[in-house]
Amino acid sequence: MNPFDKDFREALQRREPPPGFAEKVLSRARQLDSRPKRFFTWRWAAAAAAAVLVLTVGSLEYREHLRRIEGERAKEQVMLALRLTGSELRGVQERLARVQQRVIEVPEK
Amino acid sequence: MTTAEFELIVRQQQGMVYSIAYNFFNNVAVAEEVAQDVFLQLYENRRSVESHSHVIAWLRRATTHRCIDVVRHRSFHNEVQLDELPETHDDQPETDPLLQERLRRLVASLPETPRTVLILRYGEDMDAEEISRTLEMPVRTVWSHLQRGIALLKEKASRYLKEESRESIR
Repeated sequence: MNPFDKDFREALQRREPPPGFAEKVLSRARQLDSRPKRFFTWRWAAAAAAAVLVLTVGSLEYREHLRRIEGERAKEQVMLALRLTGSELRGVQERLARVQQRVIEVPEK
Repeated sequence: MTTAEFELIVRQQQGMVYSIAYNFFNNVAVAEEVAQDVFLQLYENRRSVESHSHVIAWLRRATTHRCIDVVRHRSFHNEVQLDELPETHDDQPETDPLLQERLRRLVASLPETPRTVLILRYGEDMDAEEISRTLEMPVRTVWSHLQRGIALLKEKASRYLKEESRESIR
C-alpha cells in the first residue's frame, strides 16, 4: 500500500455516530408509526373522480336507453293505428263496392 | 422486516451510514441528520427489503444519493479555505490527526461525484465494480471519477503547500 492510500484510508476510516444516535432514529421511527394515516391522498381523489365520471356517463347512457325504448313503443302504436285505419278503409271500400254492384244488378223499370 | 430487525440494522450499520455522510460533509451535525433520514427512509420502505446484503447495498446507495441531494438542494458548499486548515508540526507521529483532518476537508471540498467515489473506495473499501453498482454508473466512469478526484486533491494539496511555504518565507 502506498503512503497516499494509507493516509487516505486512515482519514476516511469508519467512525461511530454521536452517542444516542440509534435511540433518536428508533424514536423518530415510532413517531412515524403513531402518525395518523392521511385519509385524503391524490390516489383517493383520482379514484373518486373516476367513480363520478363512470356514474355520470352510466346515468346518461341509461336515460338514452329509456328514451329509445319509449320511442320504439310510440312507433309501434302509430303503426298499429295505421294498420287499423287501413283495414277500416278496406271495409268501407268493400261495402261501397257491394253497394255499387247492387245498383248495377237492379233492373230499370 | 420487523421493528426488532430494523433496530438491529440501525445498531449494526449506523457506523457505515454515518461515516459516509461524515466524510462527505466533514460536518457532524449534517452527517447525523443525513444518517437519521436514511434510516427513516429504510423504515418506511422496510417491506421491500429482501435480505441482509440487500439492506447494506440499499443503505450505501440511499446515503450517497441523500448526500448529493443535500448538496444540490441546500446549496451546501464546503469549499476549503486554506487558512482554515490546521497547522502542521514537525514532530509528526505515525498517524497524524492533523493530516487526516486536512485530507477530510480536502475530500469534502471536491465535486459531489468524485467525492462519493473516493469515499466509497477508501472509506468503505469498495472496488470499482461495487461502486459502479451502488452509484448506477459504468465501471469506466467510476475509474475516471476516481482519477479526477485524486488529481483535484493533489492540485488542492500542492496549492496549500505553496501557500504554506510562502508564509514561512515571510
